[in-house]
Amino acid sequence: MKMNKRKGFGISIYIVFVLLPIYWLLIMSFKTNQEILGALTLWPQNFTLANYAVIFTDPSWYNGYINSMIYVSMNVVITLLVALPAAYAFSRYKFVGDKHLFFWLLSNRMAPPAVFLLPFFQLYSSIGLFDTHIAVALAHCLFNVPLAVWILEGFISGVPREYDEMAYIDGYSFPKFFIKIFIPMIRSGIGVTAFFAFMFSWVELLLARTLTSVEAQPIGAIMTRTVGASGIDWGVLAAAGVLTIVPGLLVIWFVRNHVATGFALGRV
Amino acid sequence: MFRNNQSPRALMLSAAISVAGLGAAMPALADQYSDAAKKWVDSEFETSTLTEEQKLKEMAWFTQAAKSMRGMQINVVSETIATHEYESSVLAKAFTDITGIKVTHNLIQEGDVIEKLQTQMQSGRNIYDAFINDSDLIGTHFRYGKVVPISDMMEGDGKDFTLPTLDLDDFIGLDFTTAPDGKLYQLPDQQFANVYWFRADWFEREDLKKKFKEIYGYELGVPVNWSAYEDIAKFFSEDVKTIDGKRVYGHMDYGKKDPSLGWRFTDAWFSMAGAGDKGLPNGLPVDEWGIRVEECHPVGSSVTRGGAVNGPAAVYATQKYVDWLNEYAPAEAKGMTFSESGPVPAQGNVAQQIFWYTAFTSSMTKKGLPVVNEDGTPKWRMAPSPHGPYWEEGMKLGYQDVGAWTFMKSTPKERRLAAWLYAQFTVSKTVSMKKTLVGLTPIRESDINSDAMTEAAPMLGGLVEFYRSPARVQWSPTGTNVPDYPKLAQLWWQYISQAASGESTPQEALDGLAKAQDNIMMRLERANVMETCGPKLNEERDAQYWLDQPGAPKPKLDNEKPKGQTVPYKELLKKWEAES
Repeated sequence: MKMNKRKGFGISIYIVFVLLPIYWLLIMSFKTNQEILGALTLWPQNFTLANYAVIFTDPSWYNGYINSMIYVSMNVVITLLVALPAAYAFSRYKFVGDKHLFFWLLSNRMAPPAVFLLPFFQLYSSIGLFDTHIAVALAHCLFNVPLAVWILEGFISGVPREYDEMAYIDGYSFPKFFIKIFIPMIRSGIGVTAFFAFMFSWVELLLARTLTSVEAQPIGAIMTRTVGASGIDWGVLAAAGVLTIVPGLLVIWFVRNHVATGFALGRV
Repeated sequence: MFRNNQSPRALMLSAAISVAGLGAAMPALADQYSDAAKKWVDSEFETSTLTEEQKLKEMAWFTQAAKSMRGMQINVVSETIATHEYESSVLAKAFTDITGIKVTHNLIQEGDVIEKLQTQMQSGRNIYDAFINDSDLIGTHFRYGKVVPISDMMEGDGKDFTLPTLDLDDFIGLDFTTAPDGKLYQLPDQQFANVYWFRADWFEREDLKKKFKEIYGYELGVPVNWSAYEDIAKFFSEDVKTIDGKRVYGHMDYGKKDPSLGWRFTDAWFSMAGAGDKGLPNGLPVDEWGIRVEECHPVGSSVTRGGAVNGPAAVYATQKYVDWLNEYAPAEAKGMTFSESGPVPAQGNVAQQIFWYTAFTSSMTKKGLPVVNEDGTPKWRMAPSPHGPYWEEGMKLGYQDVGAWTFMKSTPKERRLAAWLYAQFTVSKTVSMKKTLVGLTPIRESDINSDAMTEAAPMLGGLVEFYRSPARVQWSPTGTNVPDYPKLAQLWWQYISQAASGESTPQEALDGLAKAQDNIMMRLERANVMETCGPKLNEERDAQYWLDQPGAPKPKLDNEKPKGQTVPYKELLKKWEAES
């Protein structure tokens, strides 16, 4: 009993510390700038939705969210389409240099995104992809595909080879087997992979803002406009921040049941 | 059976009707733009220095000039201040309605604008069709040769697209955007200055005036020199301490290790102390960045090369910045950035601030603030900044930010010209008056002297009086001596922060800065990337040689604190009126 109390206390402290910044962000988004800059208040004295109104009424603001969501979704789809067959191949077939290739896939993730910035910019602007959603989605694939292959390979290797063989004997064609039998078996792996791909792409700003100017401008780049020569528009910045957390929350909500097995990356 | 002998006639009738309809639609189509012009002129641009007829004529010119470009989409970019927000949300829309060219006026943080600009300069790929870029980059632009000079465009391919009523002579900031080659590189879109800010209501209080006179032996008023500023800072922070039961301070500043600490200095702090040479808009041969030029070639910034970055005047200016921050500002100021410290005086416990941007005017005149009266007039005023002991008549006295339209050679001609039309629209006399009232960043003489500005003046704490005064010309942006603004500006905060935190003395910090600045210029010289007027560094020689030469770098004064000097604010206004 005593032990439990102490444990509960520790967890409460932990939760308070973790949630405090988010709470702060949330109440800031409901305050006026005058209140934010004035005295320290624990909850909004003059509750206002004006900060959110700024974002929801101005297309140049909310388009940032739409742009971000478009290229993030594209990225997740492309990543899965590319990584699934690759992971299957790495798990099931033996070929010359497969182990090395598998390891060195990760080398893309060893370099910071900034390294790829200028090559990508030059490449995309010369083929007319600059300032398009697909440009950002493809750029993010460079980082997400290797990770996705690694995660999926673990899940696929957890599925005994006998399933493949049985399906073959039962007369399933390979595509039919893959879609009807195999994918449902590793669906928690796919969920977790999609989650990681989503998260990387959603918070990545450096590539996203360098490869865009207007049409595909991510929300992260638009948020910088709250910083001006006459100070920072804290309220709107906080509201925009709260809204960037929402899509992540939704995604986690949907994959929450798979997360427990997923974070072990399939190696049970 | 139904005989369809009616059909030819019906066909002819319907054809006739549709032809008639088409005929009726044609003028309607052409009129869509003039209708839009009329609508905008009547609803949005009512306040203007032009008559209704002149406004409509100007708008009609835009419609006509843009005829061949209708349906085009262009993108321009600027930083975020009230003026650009107005352009982005109102003017871009009006321009689209009146000309048929669709403009997206994108707003991002200033640092990001510079980053995009540099990317476009270095890669030669078009990112934006036009930039509103601070004229601090004038030295960068004319040297690298990547920017289309406005004056060339106006005589060349943009001749037919140049507004006849643009009236360049009416602009107050053209000196800042003209390079040593005499060409105009950028067109000013908005301007704001960095001046002295003080609580006029406290400065008028008899008890405080009497007390100040008793202690310091002269009248409390707008400080003319840094000695007086220092005395007043000490007076409020240490002698008065509380007003109406509230702790007050005689100084506000910021000192966090952050890029914004760079502006605190590159925005002309050394010129206020008097570190550079005489000459307007910027000192020649040595400017307020301490960079010496010979025939437009930068030759060095260390004293040993003839520059003044680490000269006695600059060291004095840095020392004063550090001392005042430590002694007279609220303790938390040291940990603040520019944007955090900016709104602090509005909370009502700061008596004066030597380094204050007029961009804060509208946010400090909001009703309900402790620094605003019941009737909406401010309790504070702005006045010319005081100068340090090294300053002499004929030198610049402060910083002015000039956001100016900038066009790149890498932008396709057609798009550049469409953007040029939009740029002229945002500064045309039809709209500039309204824009000035919204954003408080005047660019035209005619707007400044207008009745509308006189009417607004009591609410603006001296902004109008300042811009009408002859003193205005002493406030200028970074000049043409600085060969690469982005590369050099980023050095400043790293070295200044060492002095601010006490890690090193001001002399050591500035020695480091001078060296770093010379190293970058040396690299630029070696790389030979500049088309004209690239750096050609002087050989190092004994510092005393340069200190003995007339002008900057100036030798150390025996007395850096002459007697404080102040002037009553009202007298200052009278003097301006008499001179202007």
